[in-house]
Amino acid sequence: MYGRWILLFVLGVIAVLMASPLILTLFTSLKPTTELVNPAWYPPLSVTFEHYIRVWTDGGFSRYFFNTLLISVIDAVVMIVIASLAAYAMVFIDFRGKLALQILFLVGLMIPVTAIVLPLFQIVRSFGLLNTHFGVIVADLALAVSVFVFMFTSYFVGVPKALHEAARIDGATEFQIYRRVIMPIAMPAVVTTALLEFLWSWNDLLLRLLLLTQDEMRTLSVGLLNFQGTMTRDVTGLSSGTVIMAIPVVILFLFFQRHFVRGMTAGAVK
Amino acid sequence: MAGLELKNLSKAYGQVEVLHDINLAIADGEFVVFVGPSGCGKSTLLRMIAGLEKITGGDLLIGGNRSNDLSPRQRNIAMVFQSYALYPQMTVAQNMGFSLSLERRPKAEIAQKVQEAADSLKLGPYLDRKPGQLSGGQRQRVAIGRAIVRSPQVFLLDEPLSNLDAALRSETRVEISELHQRMETTMIYVTHDQVEAMTMADRIVVLNGGYIEQVGSPMELYNHPATEFVAGFIGSPKMNFVKGRFADTVGATTLGVRPEHFAVGKADDSWQGTVTLVERLGHDTILYVKVPDAGVLTVSLNGQHDQNVGDTIYLRPLQEFIHKFNDAGRPIAA
Repeated sequence: MYGRWILLFVLGVIAVLMASPLILTLFTSLKPTTELVNPAWYPPLSVTFEHYIRVWTDGGFSRYFFNTLLISVIDAVVMIVIASLAAYAMVFIDFRGKLALQILFLVGLMIPVTAIVLPLFQIVRSFGLLNTHFGVIVADLALAVSVFVFMFTSYFVGVPKALHEAARIDGATEFQIYRRVIMPIAMPAVVTTALLEFLWSWNDLLLRLLLLTQDEMRTLSVGLLNFQGTMTRDVTGLSSGTVIMAIPVVILFLFFQRHFVRGMTAGAVK
Repeated sequence: MAGLELKNLSKAYGQVEVLHDINLAIADGEFVVFVGPSGCGKSTLLRMIAGLEKITGGDLLIGGNRSNDLSPRQRNIAMVFQSYALYPQMTVAQNMGFSLSLERRPKAEIAQKVQEAADSLKLGPYLDRKPGQLSGGQRQRVAIGRAIVRSPQVFLLDEPLSNLDAALRSETRVEISELHQRMETTMIYVTHDQVEAMTMADRIVVLNGGYIEQVGSPMELYNHPATEFVAGFIGSPKMNFVKGRFADTVGATTLGVRPEHFAVGKADDSWQGTVTLVERLGHDTILYVKVPDAGVLTVSLNGQHDQNVGDTIYLRPLQEFIHKFNDAGRPIAA
């Protein structure tokens, strides 16, 4: 009986610790400038949206938001197509060099982005893709594709081979089997890929900082840096910008939570 | 509809050959059953015919045309899988009409063919259901229905009844036989269950260790097995094999007697044994009898008998039905 209460207490403490930075950020973003002298954990006495309006218009966040959304959505959609097609071939088609390709993808999982960021910059520049969204999207896809091929492969391995064979007997081409038989039953993996890739793309700072130097091309994560000077810091701007950046991700996660968790565990057990 | 011809067909995985020199001609409209123990290559052979396994040697002719390199789609065959392999996201109607939709047939035609197949398989009320909402037997019917709507040249069935319970299995067995009579299409059926083979086949192909042991009608195989293996595999309960002095007296290495070919005899001209187990089936009584120098023999007596465990019994093999085999397991001519 007491065990349950102790457990709830511990969970409560952890929940407060986890949520407190978000709550403090939300409080700060809604406070009038005059209330900033109060301790940070004081809730706003009068709620104002002036910082949001300032950040959205003067801070250029409307542009950044659009840029981020564009890159993230394209990243997510293209990643689903590329990773699922590659995984489909790995699992369902026998071809020469399959093992070598699998090892190559596995190696891709092991290399940290920071280790190859300079050569990546050189490559993107040499293709003339610096300061283009296309360049960022290509770099994003290349860096994360191993992870999602691995995830789709884990999922497809659990799909009975007989389904693929039955579709072949029914007269389907490999692409028809992929599109009409396998992908419809891989929705948990699709949703997880979409969410994770969207999330990574949405939150990424390093690549965007490196590859997008012109202001009109920038994304939200880079835009947030504008509120942080060497000597000064626009706390309200930073807070409201952070909230603007977090809202779509939170909504997406809440909406697809069930699929997301199922996708993460898919392929782990039969 | 079409007949098939397998000419010196073989299958190897790397250096390991699993099917050797398979020669077989299947007539148009024939119901042929591949039977054999696990690992004998029967499913591999079926999958080679289907185009799901690459043929590494020999020729496969479907309707007289060499089909080794044709895709499953080009072979115009239909297959029913052991696991049913129904598309879980599609309804019964969509599952059954999938192949036709791939051929871009008009929707009305697809609907009509699906409805006809569903009616013949009593699936009418389930057309809008997903496979997950069906029982095992219903799923099996959908799998068969999916094969029917295509009007294929050849039907392939890979142990289609093995996931059904005993009652449903015998019911579906009859339905498949009726279906064959109605459609008159060539059917190749794989099973490890010799009862299924005996009851359904026009001809049975017995496989063992990647070789064809014998091809023949059920009664040919039962009455005139070409090898000791076939003699032991066909027939239920299994044939008794006796070596030693009993075999020597008839000039054989091994003497084969089917359980139903014993008569309960008298002391002077019979094998004396002790009953170790009795199975009373109503229409038959199965006795397990321990006979010195012969081991435990299975005896099937027609009707109901009152023998009990521990009873002494005298068995007389019916001479006109005994099978004699030599060292190589081949029959010795009478």
